[in-house]
Amino acid sequence: MKKAKTIALIAGFGFFLLAVFVQSLLPYFMKQYLTVRTDVTKTVRTPLGILGQVKSHAAPYSPLVEKGRQVFIREGCWYCHSQYTRPVAGEERRWGPLPEVGEYAYDLPHLLSTRRIGPDLFRVGGKYGDDWHAAHHFDPRMVVPDSIMPKFTWLFKKEGDRFVFNEDGKALLAYIQNLGMNKGKWRDDFPYQIAAEGSAPAYTTPASVAHGKEVYLRRCVGCHGEKGDGKGAAPTAVLFTVATPRDFTVGSFKFRTTPSGELPLDSDLYRTITVGIRGAAMPPWFNLPEEDRWDVIHYIKTFYPDFATRPPVQPIYIPPPPDPTPEMIRQGKETFEELKCWECHGHEGRGDGPKSDTQVDDFGNKIPPADFTKGIFKSGPRPQDVYRTFMTGLNGTPMPSNSDAVQYKNLDPWPVAYYVLSLSADKP
Amino acid sequence: MENNSNNNLVDNQVVRAWLMWGFFWSIFAPTVGILLSLKFSFPDFLSNEYFHFGRMRPVHVNGVIFGVFSTLFLGLSQYMVPKLTGVRMPKESLSRAAMWLWNITLIAGFAGVLLGYNKGLEVAEFPNPVPLGLLISLLMITYQVLLSIARRKEEKIYVALWYVIAALIWTDLNLVFGNLIIPYIMPGVSNAALHGLFLHYVVGLWITPGGLAVIYYFLSAASRTPIYSHKLSLIGFWSLAFFYPFVGIHHYLFAPTPYWTQTIAIVASMLLIIPVWAVVANFYGTLKGGKWDMYQSDFTVKLLIFGAAMYFIGSTQGSIEALRSVQVPTHFTDFVIAHSHSTVFGGYVVFVLAACYYVWPRVSGTGFDRGVAQVSSWAMIMGISSMFTVLVIQGLIQGTELAAGAEFVDSIVSMKTYWFIRTFTGITMDIGISLVAINLFFSKAARQGQ
Repeated sequence: MKKAKTIALIAGFGFFLLAVFVQSLLPYFMKQYLTVRTDVTKTVRTPLGILGQVKSHAAPYSPLVEKGRQVFIREGCWYCHSQYTRPVAGEERRWGPLPEVGEYAYDLPHLLSTRRIGPDLFRVGGKYGDDWHAAHHFDPRMVVPDSIMPKFTWLFKKEGDRFVFNEDGKALLAYIQNLGMNKGKWRDDFPYQIAAEGSAPAYTTPASVAHGKEVYLRRCVGCHGEKGDGKGAAPTAVLFTVATPRDFTVGSFKFRTTPSGELPLDSDLYRTITVGIRGAAMPPWFNLPEEDRWDVIHYIKTFYPDFATRPPVQPIYIPPPPDPTPEMIRQGKETFEELKCWECHGHEGRGDGPKSDTQVDDFGNKIPPADFTKGIFKSGPRPQDVYRTFMTGLNGTPMPSNSDAVQYKNLDPWPVAYYVLSLSADKP
Repeated sequence: MENNSNNNLVDNQVVRAWLMWGFFWSIFAPTVGILLSLKFSFPDFLSNEYFHFGRMRPVHVNGVIFGVFSTLFLGLSQYMVPKLTGVRMPKESLSRAAMWLWNITLIAGFAGVLLGYNKGLEVAEFPNPVPLGLLISLLMITYQVLLSIARRKEEKIYVALWYVIAALIWTDLNLVFGNLIIPYIMPGVSNAALHGLFLHYVVGLWITPGGLAVIYYFLSAASRTPIYSHKLSLIGFWSLAFFYPFVGIHHYLFAPTPYWTQTIAIVASMLLIIPVWAVVANFYGTLKGGKWDMYQSDFTVKLLIFGAAMYFIGSTQGSIEALRSVQVPTHFTDFVIAHSHSTVFGGYVVFVLAACYYVWPRVSGTGFDRGVAQVSSWAMIMGISSMFTVLVIQGLIQGTELAAGAEFVDSIVSMKTYWFIRTFTGITMDIGISLVAINLFFSKAARQGQ
């Protein structure tokens, strides 16, 4: 070639700018990808207490979340954590619904990322509780012994004898808990997390207990401790603000289908392990092989010998939920008042009833009544979950079983279950 | 083309200074890579606020791209361009200023990301206005090179110069694009599309043409043979120039960007097989006719030919990797890291190091120790080959495990053995690279007879 200009103009400028035009400017100006587009299909709770989908808009970042995003960028979290799930390789099952264009509307710079040394974070908001995140950022190997994530101890300060997030840490936490939440309450409708029944449990054998112990030491020991007493390394080092890990040696379990005061069935433990305890540090383990989940139950039961000697009791029967009606919600409100649920949970369900300040659990810890308006239901987001808690109570806490009241007053529990769920209805 | 009596065309001092900085970076950046790889096996190793993985990774990646490769390439261009145009660089003090500006900017950039000033865009992390230093420095070099070409003595422009011209213009544009435009416009997935383009312009429109310029010039110079085929040169250059700008979006396949832009990127990625195979055929063809024994006797030829093999393997892998079906299990895994190391290190960094064996003795009047050079060459060859193999295998394992529904941490556990082995392959590579720098820099022996 003889002309340097040919090279400079055609190859140097021409092809470069042509590609920029075709590959990013052209699509940018196409209607369905316009950056101003913020719409997203959102899962919401309706005034009838059920879930529905609405067309909505992605919300801009609040100042705290934006600050957390800056921490996320500064610390290079995005080198190992991508922020888009793909419609392939089972990623919808693993991490949740696929991203929509509108959900990225406020991302500048984008944080899609090209590598996953850790899991994708696009839908991580709400998956883990704040306490879990605190422990995990303070020392990831406390809660995930196989993790290779760095410790982020400079995001903490000491408060009393435990560590809590400092300002940067709190902002980062707010950002993480906000990830994917433009999709609303999708997690309440996520079949892989809420379908918790599983196959029938196998009998306890020495092999299953041994395997269960392996699982326990890899997944559970950080919070529940080697002795199963809930005094693992995590709650010892970091201040757990929502709830402390369960002490298995006491034999008191909150989430059961069995009557008040009884031990849970294996299937109850299986459900809690699978779906996790929303808001608390217990993550959902629906990605774990079923065998691991059953076997760890066999091991957990060895911490409380009565499991071996007391025969399982008859669980309550939860009929299929009826379709809710406005009439049912009204009826539920009446029952809520009649059974004095408001004494703790408050007339509006904000957890601010007259007795709310004085409640303590069996371990002597202060325990605030649930705030139903937040839409974070520890025992599960389905009507049958609220039904179950209403009927069996939560062992070890002031939440009583209402099954006697239902029997003697001939009440229907479904209206109150839907009423409780309807308290977290999204504003239109 | 090579004319030793004409050596006064080259400002030896400035070439030496650029290459010395290049030697420094080629010890520094791969060593950072080893420290990073140790963190996979020992997560608490060197893990504090300023040196944890998230802050060190950009130092390694930018260090290899803008430190090792670019500094050596820019130094070599100060040698190649005068030789090819037959005129001295128009304003030599500019080259010196560019050298200081470039390297001080890099130091400032690395300090910046370690201190937490990260812009959040891969390979464009340096906080503004630091990248302006790189841009201004590169514009100075561009000015020198284009002016030299305008004043050239020979009418025909040699193929290496095509690549130098294109690389400089592309990268002047790209540095503006990536550092001054992308961070501030078009949020969301459009930002990702732009960034994907930028990301691949760095490797495709800077490292690739730069590296190919080096091998075109130095393979021919070291073996004293003209390039095999002018037609292949033309096909290789123009197909690269036309297809490469379109591939960037393959970094974000299956993201909610327009499907057709992803398809264009995939098609362009596959079409890149044309320039890759064309230029590699051209290089191997050049040694036809009794020059293959130089693979044994000449370190420049040895490393260029090995580099061309790695370039062939890594680039072909890269094309295939862009296919949707291949991306399903391999994207996000170490399979991609295998591609980036085999091409950037195994190909381009090896090219510029090979050229240093040719240029350094000529600009400094010293020689080098052949025994050490032999050890270093084999350390690099074995290091990158085994690293590539390990990373490909582990990428495929993790990808298929996850596609089969494994719990995520379980897939990390099965990677741990491979990551441990990977560190040793990296150390082997690092020894090889460092020995090139040390061998050339400290050699007092007189230059061997030509």
